[in-house]
Amino acid sequence: MRAFRCTVAASVAVTASLLLAAPTRAADVVIGVANWPSATATAHLIKSIIETDLGQTVELSEGTLPDLFAAADRGEVDVLPEVWLPNYRSAVRTYVDKNKTVTLVPRGVPARQGLCTTRQAADEYGLTSIDDLKSPETAKLLDTDEDGMGEMWIGAEGWNSTNIERIRAKSYGYDQTMTLIQSDEPVAMAGLDVAASLGEPYVLYCYEPHHMFALHDLVMLEEPPYNPTKWVVRTPEDDPDWLNQSEASTAWAVSFIHPAYRAGLENDQPDLVRLLSNMDLEADTISEMTYALIVERKDPERFASEWIEGNADRVDRWLSE
Amino acid sequence: MIARRLLLAAIGILFFTAGLAATADAQQSSRVYDPSSKQWIVFDPDKVERDATARGGTPERFKRKLVPFRTSEPPGTIIIDTDRKYLFYVLPNFQAIRYGVGVGKEGFGWSGEVHVGRKAEWPSWTPTPDMIERDPDLREYINGMPGGVENPLGARALYLYKGNRDSLYRIHGTNEPWSIGLNVSSGCIRMNNEDVEDLYSRAPVGTKVIVLKQGAALFQPS
Repeated sequence: MRAFRCTVAASVAVTASLLLAAPTRAADVVIGVANWPSATATAHLIKSIIETDLGQTVELSEGTLPDLFAAADRGEVDVLPEVWLPNYRSAVRTYVDKNKTVTLVPRGVPARQGLCTTRQAADEYGLTSIDDLKSPETAKLLDTDEDGMGEMWIGAEGWNSTNIERIRAKSYGYDQTMTLIQSDEPVAMAGLDVAASLGEPYVLYCYEPHHMFALHDLVMLEEPPYNPTKWVVRTPEDDPDWLNQSEASTAWAVSFIHPAYRAGLENDQPDLVRLLSNMDLEADTISEMTYALIVERKDPERFASEWIEGNADRVDRWLSE
Repeated sequence: MIARRLLLAAIGILFFTAGLAATADAQQSSRVYDPSSKQWIVFDPDKVERDATARGGTPERFKRKLVPFRTSEPPGTIIIDTDRKYLFYVLPNFQAIRYGVGVGKEGFGWSGEVHVGRKAEWPSWTPTPDMIERDPDLREYINGMPGGVENPLGARALYLYKGNRDSLYRIHGTNEPWSIGLNVSSGCIRMNNEDVEDLYSRAPVGTKVIVLKQGAALFQPS
């Protein structure tokens, strides 16, 4: 069944490309890969399914999600495998609701985000609540450069969550006791590796699905549950004074990861739109994929094709329903 | 000036080691010669150990050690924590070799990813113009000080590059093992000569180096 569909799809694709040769495109489909590990995993999975089952060529284009949204708006990127909400609500308002150049798939993978520490730090130092970050004792405990302030990682430059973590630090008040570090994720992960090896406490922005939870025993810091009335987030694009004008003093809302695609794709590639709409990955599956690619350093192409082999029925369902 | 200082330090360490070797006798007399104060002092075994750590050797926690190290970085990666004064060399199976390091007084004002762009045995060393300004005696080495025991770069140097440009930061040896774990002198990451020789033998040109500086305003070396 699958082989038959591959053959048909491939011949259709060849005909289409002969008729509508698009010289600016290096491949039939361009997938935008955002700069966090799970985006790499899901992008490779989608790429592999498109190549194997839809018989099309795929190019991966890396960038920050706001840049990739803009590229999809211009028609240069077709698929955005991971749009995190509420993080990228503002981009969704611009490109999905207003410009209508990008379509968001309604189905999302439940995800979570917040602040984490190692279980050892929680057990040994009682570092369990976000309010602990305001205490001078915690600041001292997390002070690695002896400037009197603790240090914590709040995310990479260019992530919307990084701005929201700045708002949260200001709203809760631990921006007065902690230095908020922004750096590329691999540097922060190496910092966590070092702290865990030395048995020293570490606090970082954490999100799941992610391989960090399989690598280290992490616990999320407790905080009041999400309350929309205490969550007013403005972005630098909305307002130059966004930090002062924003407030977020509760936990993050339950988050979802939605695929999105260039609006014209419904006409150009209905099979691909069906695939994106039907994909029902779970957070655990994405975490496992990320662990295999990032920690075990499996070849992404090979890993994706093996996963598709092992989950053939599921992939068939995504393609046919 | 640096050479003279190093030489004096080396002589001091020699004298002090000789002093330690003679402690069995000294215990009888309870007096040892202290090369730093140039006086005979009353022997106190605890103080000798403290002083040996302070002046003659690397503190225990900064000695080279195989440690558990769970990471997603591939084996062969170097991770340097300039705040806690450790360098990790990642091995397979979630292990690493942990070395103690000394960090330049000015420290690393940055964090990020670089790589070993060049390596040298018994490297020569040329003081920068502002080093010469601070210490005019260094003018003697304006065209470079040949490698050797008196050279501040010690036995080996690994030159850190960002892309194809020398970042001007180095991992290098030192003849002052007591300085491991401290922020002293200027520049770079110092390791004991035997440690830097060990690291040098493992890390080829191209090795990925991640520099952590938890507390710094972060920017990349240009």
